[in-house]
Amino acid sequence: MFRSEEMVLCQLFVQPEAAYVSMYELGEAGIAQFRDLNPHVNDFQRRYVTEVRRCNEMERKLRWVSGELPEPPPPPKPSPRVLTPREINILEERIDYIESEIQEITKNAQNLKTDYLALIELKLLIEKTQTFFQDHSAHRKISASVQIYNNDGALGHLGFIAGVVATARVPSFERMLWRISHGNIFFKQAQIDEPLKDPVTSHELQKTVFVVFFHGEQIKLRVKKVCNGFQATLYPCPATYKEQQDMLAGIESRIKDLEMVLEQTEQHRRLVLANIARDISTWMVVVRKEKAIYHTLNMFSMDIVKKCLIAECWVPRCDLHILQKALDNGVKASGSPIPSILHHVPTLEIPPTYNRTNKFTRGFQTLIDSYGIASYREVNPALYTIITFPFLFAVMFGDMGHGLIMTAFAAILVIFEKKFAKNKTDNEIWNIFFGGRYIILLMGIFSVYTGLIYNDIFSKSLNIFGSSWQNVYDEGTLRNYSTFELDPKDAYTKTPYPLGIDPAWQFAANNIIFLNSFKMKLSIIFGVLHMAFGVTLSVVNFNFFKKAELIFLQYIPQILFLLLLFWYLCILMFMKWIMYSADATDNALGTSCAPSVLIIFINMMLLKESTAKGSCKPFMYDGQEIIQNIFLAIAFLCIPIMLFGKPVYQIMAAKKQKRGGVEGGAGGAGAGGAGGAAGEALGEALITQAIHTIEYVLGAVSHTASYLRLWALSLAHAQLSAVLWQRLLKIGLGGGSPVNAILLYILFAAWAFFTLAILVLMEGLSAFLHTLRLHWVEFMSKFYEGQGYAFLPFSFSVILEADEVDIKEKPNGGPPE
Amino acid sequence: MKGCIFNIDAGYLEGLCRGFKCGILKQSDYLNLVQCETLEDLKLHLQGTDYGTFLANEPSPLSVSTIDDKLREKLVIEFQHLRNHSVEPMSTFLDFITYSYMIDNIILLITGTLHQRPISELIPKCHPLGSFEQMEAIHVAATPAELYNAVLVDTPLAPFFVDCISEQDLDEMNIEIIRNTLYKAYLEAFYEFCKQIGGTTADVMCEILAFEADRRAIIITINSFGTELSKDDRAKLYPRCGKLNPDGLAALARADDYEQVKAVAEYYAEYSALFEGAGNNVGDKTLEDKFFEHEVTLNVMAFLQQFHFGVFYSYLKLKEQECRNIVWISECVAQKHRAKIDNYIPIF
Repeated sequence: MFRSEEMVLCQLFVQPEAAYVSMYELGEAGIAQFRDLNPHVNDFQRRYVTEVRRCNEMERKLRWVSGELPEPPPPPKPSPRVLTPREINILEERIDYIESEIQEITKNAQNLKTDYLALIELKLLIEKTQTFFQDHSAHRKISASVQIYNNDGALGHLGFIAGVVATARVPSFERMLWRISHGNIFFKQAQIDEPLKDPVTSHELQKTVFVVFFHGEQIKLRVKKVCNGFQATLYPCPATYKEQQDMLAGIESRIKDLEMVLEQTEQHRRLVLANIARDISTWMVVVRKEKAIYHTLNMFSMDIVKKCLIAECWVPRCDLHILQKALDNGVKASGSPIPSILHHVPTLEIPPTYNRTNKFTRGFQTLIDSYGIASYREVNPALYTIITFPFLFAVMFGDMGHGLIMTAFAAILVIFEKKFAKNKTDNEIWNIFFGGRYIILLMGIFSVYTGLIYNDIFSKSLNIFGSSWQNVYDEGTLRNYSTFELDPKDAYTKTPYPLGIDPAWQFAANNIIFLNSFKMKLSIIFGVLHMAFGVTLSVVNFNFFKKAELIFLQYIPQILFLLLLFWYLCILMFMKWIMYSADATDNALGTSCAPSVLIIFINMMLLKESTAKGSCKPFMYDGQEIIQNIFLAIAFLCIPIMLFGKPVYQIMAAKKQKRGGVEGGAGGAGAGGAGGAAGEALGEALITQAIHTIEYVLGAVSHTASYLRLWALSLAHAQLSAVLWQRLLKIGLGGGSPVNAILLYILFAAWAFFTLAILVLMEGLSAFLHTLRLHWVEFMSKFYEGQGYAFLPFSFSVILEADEVDIKEKPNGGPPE
Repeated sequence: MKGCIFNIDAGYLEGLCRGFKCGILKQSDYLNLVQCETLEDLKLHLQGTDYGTFLANEPSPLSVSTIDDKLREKLVIEFQHLRNHSVEPMSTFLDFITYSYMIDNIILLITGTLHQRPISELIPKCHPLGSFEQMEAIHVAATPAELYNAVLVDTPLAPFFVDCISEQDLDEMNIEIIRNTLYKAYLEAFYEFCKQIGGTTADVMCEILAFEADRRAIIITINSFGTELSKDDRAKLYPRCGKLNPDGLAALARADDYEQVKAVAEYYAEYSALFEGAGNNVGDKTLEDKFFEHEVTLNVMAFLQQFHFGVFYSYLKLKEQECRNIVWISECVAQKHRAKIDNYIPIF
């Protein structure tokens, strides 16, 4: 965690037979990042493309089958070992067989359902048309003429067609019929009340029964064409009541038969599917793993004599034995006499950055990585972030009550994490909270602590140890004045409140002024410490990367600049706190003479005279002016060192090298050219260094000021929660009438809601973002490079997870033709 | 001024459309595609592009028609999405685009029924963007008048059809004339509509539609040689919104052979260039391909301006060209006929 792991570039020579098993083991272990050795080869021209395709095909079939399952299949069993190619073949055949079997069954079921639908439609049609024929006298006439037509074709001229059409298409259907017949038809419709089921998609269908009466053979043909065009299903419908009854009875019995057959088919299908459901997830995993292996194998290059595969991969040095073991196992499994060869390649390439994390540190590492992946082996700020992040957050969020809510929420997430982790969701917000559960937990705990220091619980103070302030007035005075002054000389008991801020300040009119001064100073102190720590971390980097000169050329001037100016400011604060008090005997150290630290600091920077009024001294201690001027001089002397130190050192180093080169007889012409190049490089180095220096010097001021956000947010948080208390809950708590009880009931709900939504959630989020900024900008800019790239090992668990997400996003495809 | 308020209604869709446009295959993609040995390779390569997994659920072996269908399906989904989110006047504009597909569908269905094909076989061949409710009942009609009265009167195409109403029976020749008259009316109406919208839309779209009109006029003329179509009838079919109008069209109406058509085109700089480059020898591009290329250039240029509807039209046309390209390459791959595989029309 302190630095990223040491990585080794390995070259592997593997027999093709052994490669598969070895890759399987490596995929399980997830320790090696393979490099693509044929980047210029198209996807489809690679060696194992047929295998990949076969896996794709199997995956598609499995996906289709699992789409047919009535309920999601159980999670996969852990498959203990690698499948041999023979077993894979068997699996493939099995999947093929299952797919065709299910297709067969589905097709049969669909046919049956189509028949069933037709029968149901016919039944409904007859039932509905009966009313058409019966309930209206005009209809009776029609039905009479229909009878005539049916009994004796020569006499009547009225024919009719009955059928069923989708309800949505009825209006245009009717219009079209009317148009083609020039108004010479009679159209009658009735909607089917309960929706029918489409046999293929099993969507619901709204259908309408219709009967068209018309005149003449010509129109009949055209009506039929229109019906055809609108996908209406036509049914033969008998015209007389008796025939209808007979037909209905016949249909009823057929429907019953069909229902039975349908049920049996359905049962058979369910049985078959249930058999598969147990294994399908496992197979899916096997197939996906297989695909991933072949994808990786595609990145290998082939030896010229086609005897073995060559792979290159990054591996953490301490995991080399796992790699070796995987290779050995592969050879053992394949039974080939030639062992796989592992061989370290010295390289100038920058290795990937790999920080081993656990579930606790992962969240913090993510915070750092989202700024930029650390350069290879540089100091990893995530380690310190574990404490500084929640702490700085809590400085802004300090409130025991809100902290407890946050802690409780995070604690639930942490305690039941296994359960939560198991049922994954797509809910992004939830996943963010869950991923950062340990951060939230620490933030909560720290907030409780700072709340204790600020003595704030839902904006109220706790008087645990008894206030150190006492009442010095008698009854009468207390009665006559609403506010009165407590002079620390008399009212203060001389023993400070043991922990945090005295509860007496809760009622003080100057509460905010007092807290502001306190929190402002506090945030500057924390800020300077935090930055100084960041600057110091750069020493660790210089040391590790063997750039000792930079300690003198960069670190020492930087830290001197910071400490002499800004830490001196903090020292003045401490001095002010300690030296000045209300009961000082020396008048110059009394309350009225306490100097403004800020003014002193500004005077120091501007080299102005300090003036004092009355009996006060202009300075806090003897010789302060001289010391301050010396500090200032040293600090400003540091700037040229920062500016020119590194480039000058580089020139000197280059010259020394050149001299060595000339002495060694390297030749003049080449050296001259190199000199020109060095000159350009120097210019560039100077500019870069100038930018860095200006950034640091200005940054020291602006970053220090930036830490004031600790104070500002903390103040805002405290004030908001005070407002909520006063404007809502206090109204409910005041007064003794029963009405108040009801009022309290409502107001408490409002108060609780706003506390949760605004104070805990929104304020928490804003404090989180500000803390993140303080780390990314103010802290990490002092030492962090962040120019690395992440280590992405070939790992089954990662691949399977990514696939799962893919599947969820993609709707399941239709059945194959 | 138009530009300022354009984004209120159409800004999101324009952005979306420009995003879609970035998914159009580049020259490098085509270079990869033409190297494919089988359709499976093609599928694998398309997976790496914006098409993603659109063929993932198709069983092997793939056929060219499946690829074609899937390509079209994807395009249609995108277009429908744009259409569903649009408001006036953009929705009318998008509707106008679909009318040309409707015309094609109607002609396809009538021709099919003339050749005694069952309607259920024809419907899947229709372009889904041009489908309308009464489409399937189209075989009721035996004459153009019936076609109008029974089927088309309820569709948006009705105003375009007014010129074609006659009591003649539908036959091959008739249908061709109906198609071209419909197209003429449609193009002129679309041109008017774009002009009425004004602003950049008019600038861009009128340019494209004028070219479309001229192309039709030229193609009609060339195709009419050796048929029974009289010169007067032919002149009636020319859309009158192009750059050839009126002098060029008058000259075209008098043309008797290809050389004369070419002579007419000489007067117009952009068209003469197209005729120059075209030839019928092996290895030469046909005139049709030349026209397609010019169309692609015009459509690509539409993306150079902002705040206008032309991008939607251009996107659809470019994407269609891309589908044609992919299908062409797939055909070449499937039939192992690689000599002409490079005859696709690159877009970017």
